[in-house]
Amino acid sequence: MTIGVLVDVLLALSLVGLSLQVVTGRALFRDLVLFILFGLLIALSWARLGAPDVALAEAAIGAGLTGALMLMAYRRLAAGGAADVSPARRRPLLALPVAALAGILVAIIGLSAQGVERVPDAAGTLVLQELSATGLGNPITGVLLVFRGLDTMLEMAVLLVALLGAWAVLGAAHPGRLHQVDRETPLVSALLTTVAPVTLLIATHLLLVGTDAPGGAFQAGAVLTGCGVLLVLTGTVRPRAAAGLLTKLLAIAGLAAFALIGVSALALGRAPMTLPGMWAVYLIETAMMLSIALTMTLLFARSRALGPEQR
Amino acid sequence: MTTEALTLLVFAPLAGALVMVVAPRRAAAPIAVLSLLTLPPALVPLTRAVRAGELVQLPLAGFAAPLGIVWRVDALAVTMLLLSVAVVLLVSLHALASFPPERESGQRFWPLWLILVSSLHALFLSADLFNLYVTLELVTLAGVALIAVRGEPAAMRAAMRYLLLGLMASLFYLLATALLYGQTGTLDLYLVGERLEAGGLTAIAVALMATGLLLKAAIVPLHVWLPAAHGKAPGPVSAVLSALVVKAALYILIRLWFWGGGGQAGEHAALLLGVLGALAILYASAAAIAQRRLKMLVAYSTLAQLGYVMLLFPLASAGAYRAVVFHVVAHGIAKAAMFLAAANLLRALGSERLQRLAGAGSRHGLDVLAFALAGVSIMGLPPSGGFVAKWLLLAAAWQERGWAWVVVISVGSLLAAVYVFRVVSLAFAQPLREPERAASAGEEQGRAQLTSVAALLLAALAIVLGLASAPLIALIDQGLPPGMLR
Amino acid sequence: MTSTTVYLLAASAVFGIGVYGLIVADHILRKLLALNMMGSAVFVFILTVAGVTPEGPDPLAQALVLTGIVIAVAATAFALALMVRMFQETGLTSLQGHDGDD
Repeated sequence: MTIGVLVDVLLALSLVGLSLQVVTGRALFRDLVLFILFGLLIALSWARLGAPDVALAEAAIGAGLTGALMLMAYRRLAAGGAADVSPARRRPLLALPVAALAGILVAIIGLSAQGVERVPDAAGTLVLQELSATGLGNPITGVLLVFRGLDTMLEMAVLLVALLGAWAVLGAAHPGRLHQVDRETPLVSALLTTVAPVTLLIATHLLLVGTDAPGGAFQAGAVLTGCGVLLVLTGTVRPRAAAGLLTKLLAIAGLAAFALIGVSALALGRAPMTLPGMWAVYLIETAMMLSIALTMTLLFARSRALGPEQR
Repeated sequence: MTTEALTLLVFAPLAGALVMVVAPRRAAAPIAVLSLLTLPPALVPLTRAVRAGELVQLPLAGFAAPLGIVWRVDALAVTMLLLSVAVVLLVSLHALASFPPERESGQRFWPLWLILVSSLHALFLSADLFNLYVTLELVTLAGVALIAVRGEPAAMRAAMRYLLLGLMASLFYLLATALLYGQTGTLDLYLVGERLEAGGLTAIAVALMATGLLLKAAIVPLHVWLPAAHGKAPGPVSAVLSALVVKAALYILIRLWFWGGGGQAGEHAALLLGVLGALAILYASAAAIAQRRLKMLVAYSTLAQLGYVMLLFPLASAGAYRAVVFHVVAHGIAKAAMFLAAANLLRALGSERLQRLAGAGSRHGLDVLAFALAGVSIMGLPPSGGFVAKWLLLAAAWQERGWAWVVVISVGSLLAAVYVFRVVSLAFAQPLREPERAASAGEEQGRAQLTSVAALLLAALAIVLGLASAPLIALIDQGLPPGMLR
Repeated sequence: MTSTTVYLLAASAVFGIGVYGLIVADHILRKLLALNMMGSAVFVFILTVAGVTPEGPDPLAQALVLTGIVIAVAATAFALALMVRMFQETGLTSLQGHDGDD
């Protein structure tokens, strides 16, 4: 057994242990923190499996963003006096065997699937062969934007539906004021003055390299969301009760850009979703990054819009 | 022409939703109407091409399978699109009145509604397993948001349960997709069908996918989320959820089974699916009879009627296929009418308790008439679309010597008659006391009339479908699954 | 035993644990935690089952996982918004009990 496999075994065991802790734990807050740790370890696993794009996305979105959203929701429940109430648990006898069966079944299925010989002209192999024609260096960006652009466009629609749905159930009440950290604290002001610009730089970098190297609109959008979350938590921007035109335009930008370019291919006599050139890739990715960042920040702040502090 | 038509079906409602998000309120109604009115013309060239025996294919971005995603339209897809457009247009008529686009409630409702329509169409067009996953998620999320759109506590609870189970169902589907991709190297449903070989892994993949889809389609015993979700949702949302959204999951299952190689899971699996259907018919019909609230009764009726679709798997004949697809259309239209009528009655009476219906027949005649006409189709009485469907299905079961199925179908129709007649007879019963009529403003009156007209139009369509069933049957016959002979 | 097998086994275990958590948990937030862990397990499963090309894991499978991750976070965000509003309206953080159907 090599060192590499040993690392993998340790990582895998930690994953199982953490998930067990999360599911059986009694303190919700602690389990939330463990869940975030679980996400980070999953990201490490992706890196070990040779999938750096997914690792980046998992760390930023799966662990970071999901974790932040969950912690925020927990705080909102706690503010209403709910989260600390130890939840009465049902312990149906059925759950354990069902779960064990599910796990074992998945393991058997997966292991037997490993024995299946890979089809020589599998779609993933074709992606690598056809990539050079697209002008992109990163095959994953090639799949997401060029070969299977429809999936990505509809995924942006899922994001928009999440936002519209959240707005619909938000209620008429003005978004509750969050408990804010003091901006005068040295650490917080340092965060604001250094980290915020740096995240912007990182996001831009991720977006630009995404065409050829690991990165892209999703990772960049998630990093940018981190910046937005920071601004919300420090009270630099505050929730607003009504969304202005700019907010709405930014929220639909990614989907609208993709759909518009996708349909305009018809005018050129091409199939819909055909991208006219590299500029379209950059345009769509930028729009998607902005939409993702704004949407997720709004969902985090549970508000219809954000604006500078004012009365 | 067909390329433009396909593009319109998905992108017109999507564009409508996007424009409505940013446009001023007063423009909302024209945007909604405009984006929906482009749909019927788009169906003309598609129907014509399919009737001419053509298989309409559109590789998106110009990449054919297995590299890219292909939209593929055969007779089944066109049938679903025809059903979708008919139901969506008439239910939207109701929504124009019940969720006025320029008001706050309409501003929340309409963008989600239009995205739901767009994603349903993308689903019916898609022949790609992963793309189907994305559209299915989109349909589910938009549906959940629409259930909760009024912010009523009971509706929010129902929406939450639907969401949690729906997300779990998607994971099952996704696991199966991964397995199928690992085995065949493609996500294209038709290529999967060609490359898939019978065996243990195939059976497991099909079982996983079927489980996820049956959960989304609320087939007994995976139905627990549906009655509350459909029963507590706003009227137009209930109508489309019952008429189209649950059918979308069954559509994918039928595609997988008869086109995507899923049938290799074997005869026992098919029999199991049929037994689940029979259970659904018997259990849910009985449960519908026991309901004390109108919309819950209608929701349980949906569960029962979905059961008939499952009989296709064990019968697996051209006759059964014809009957089941016809049933999907007939039930979709009748159930949309029924939910709209029920929602109107609920709103007028201020309560959804069945007892309060007493006397509604004289005061809310249009809605009771719509309910009764839709009920005729649900029961399977002539001359409705439901009658043709049940008749075809009985004939198919008879031909296959499936006597047990014959019994189930007949008993199901009898039970349906009980719950429908219960409502109608209550509506014509003598009211306990004359309720005071609330004087309503002229505009509100107009809106109420529009909602009744929408319900009645759908109900009339449910009957007409029986009188003029030949064109639809001819269309369905145009695209029988491979290996099924007329 | 290869790394792929190790992660596949871990993913299977996490999937089973997630199923257990989803069934047993009462708090909606806990159900969402379980669902998200199940999701991660499915994503690892996708990548390991898809096999490898000479240039690493199947790029198509990686792209599918990326799409899946974004869909999962969007669905989670909406579910949390629904949960918070439900709590504000009803004071409940669970789906147990009566649905009000008499």
